[in-house]
Amino acid sequence: MSAEAFFARLLEKFTAEMAHLNALDAAVGDGDHGSTMLRGLTKAASAEEGRRAKAFMRASGGASGTLFGLILIAIEAHLDSGADLATGLRTACERICDLGEVKVGDKSMVDALAPAVAALGSSSLSDAIEAAAKGRDSTEPLVARRGRSQYVEDGGKGHIDPGSVSVVIFLETLAQVQGVS
Amino acid sequence: MKKLFNSAETMVDDMLDGFVSAYPQVKRGVSDPRVIIRDCNTKDADEKVTLLIGNGSGHEPIAMGFVGQGLLDANVVGDVFAAPSADLILDGITEVTGKAGSILLISQHSGDMINGRAATMMAQDDGINVLHLPMYDDISAAPPERKQDRRGAPGTMFIYKIVGAAAEEGMPLQALFDLGEAVRDRIVTLAAAVSPGVSPLTGLPMFSLPEDEIFLGMGVHGEPGVGRVKVGPIAELVSLMLDKLLADRPIAKGGRACVIINGMGGTTMMEQLTIWNETHAQLAALGITAIAPMIGSYVTTQEMGGFSISLLEPTDDMLAYWCAPSDTPAFPDISCDAKDTST
Repeated sequence: MSAEAFFARLLEKFTAEMAHLNALDAAVGDGDHGSTMLRGLTKAASAEEGRRAKAFMRASGGASGTLFGLILIAIEAHLDSGADLATGLRTACERICDLGEVKVGDKSMVDALAPAVAALGSSSLSDAIEAAAKGRDSTEPLVARRGRSQYVEDGGKGHIDPGSVSVVIFLETLAQVQGVS
Repeated sequence: MKKLFNSAETMVDDMLDGFVSAYPQVKRGVSDPRVIIRDCNTKDADEKVTLLIGNGSGHEPIAMGFVGQGLLDANVVGDVFAAPSADLILDGITEVTGKAGSILLISQHSGDMINGRAATMMAQDDGINVLHLPMYDDISAAPPERKQDRRGAPGTMFIYKIVGAAAEEGMPLQALFDLGEAVRDRIVTLAAAVSPGVSPLTGLPMFSLPEDEIFLGMGVHGEPGVGRVKVGPIAELVSLMLDKLLADRPIAKGGRACVIINGMGGTTMMEQLTIWNETHAQLAALGITAIAPMIGSYVTTQEMGGFSISLLEPTDDMLAYWCAPSDTPAFPDISCDAKDTST
């Protein structure tokens, strides 16, 4: 299984979800999360083998391109060369927390990623997706502490964090191309 | 505001084309055209630690103008006012790092830190021997007890030059890193802005300021600083700035200070030399000898008006490295000779 199918499928999904993600982001940030992800994924889908996540980082840009790119690098290494997914995602999650200065409860992508990583340690990808979705939904009442959403009224309280939505889509897409669900 | 470009899409690469064709010291890297390296890549020089930095464009001549012998080995160039992406910085690290290792300098701003540190982590995953050195010196960004929260300002040029000269001499990786930290501990910078730069992307001024006011402590992207003062004779402003710099990091009577007077892009050499003259004279009145000045517009924000004063209280070794010869497109010759101005 190469990463090619994963990135192709991911591009389809974000093409369909772009407007929805932008709308979610408009409530907590500058309203471009869907467009930014799609810009990165468009380049990733046509990049050469082994450099797809890096192409995503470059085209997506900014700090968010780097942080989401770290997740995609772990998934790409898993699909292309059989690197352990749980280990790769754990490292990505630790680095995202370190670089982005975020932790669980700050209303960010980490609220979906961290529980997924914890589940993967002892359980299946399906369980990890369930944990991530639960984490995603938990961001709704939270107040943002990092990123642009900390500057919007009430820190985006009452709105789901779009980054956590994207993390769930990453994992669901991975499960689909691996034929898990 | 009129700007002299072809298009927003091509302005950075048009500039880089001009840069590499104008100066023999530099060329584009093989890994990516946004990686600028020395004409003779130092990667395979056995004992030479390589030194690089990534930064957004729009601040020229920093940092690409400092690529060359005795200074940087590479500069990774981002879009206008935007940090280069982590994978691009990784390309730069991979391109110039040999077995002696490398140091990625990072001027401390959020995007540069996240992308630079991520690039360092990815390079280390690939088995590359690279360390990252955050650089910060702007005293208006945080108090002395939270120095590590300060942002990078023109005083970081002391670090580029001193670590660059030591690397050229063959100093090993960890010693260079320690030297960089030691220099960083001895640098203070304070800026004063008088008029905004105009973004080449939007054509709009980057901030606004009343005609009779000066903004003290503004960052290189127009970040807020310590506050506003009224325009008056430059002697008064320099006096205020030196008070703040020396309160932050005192220099004893009889001590010496290397000085950088950096113009932000729209401040004339005539003004900068006047500012240096005041700095030199006022430090002398405090019993501090100002030496080895670097004066000019090196860290710019388009046509932003204003300047910064940076002080480094050097050790003898630091002073020697600061004045060591270099050969780059933009770094000046700096003289350490004491100058007798008494006659």
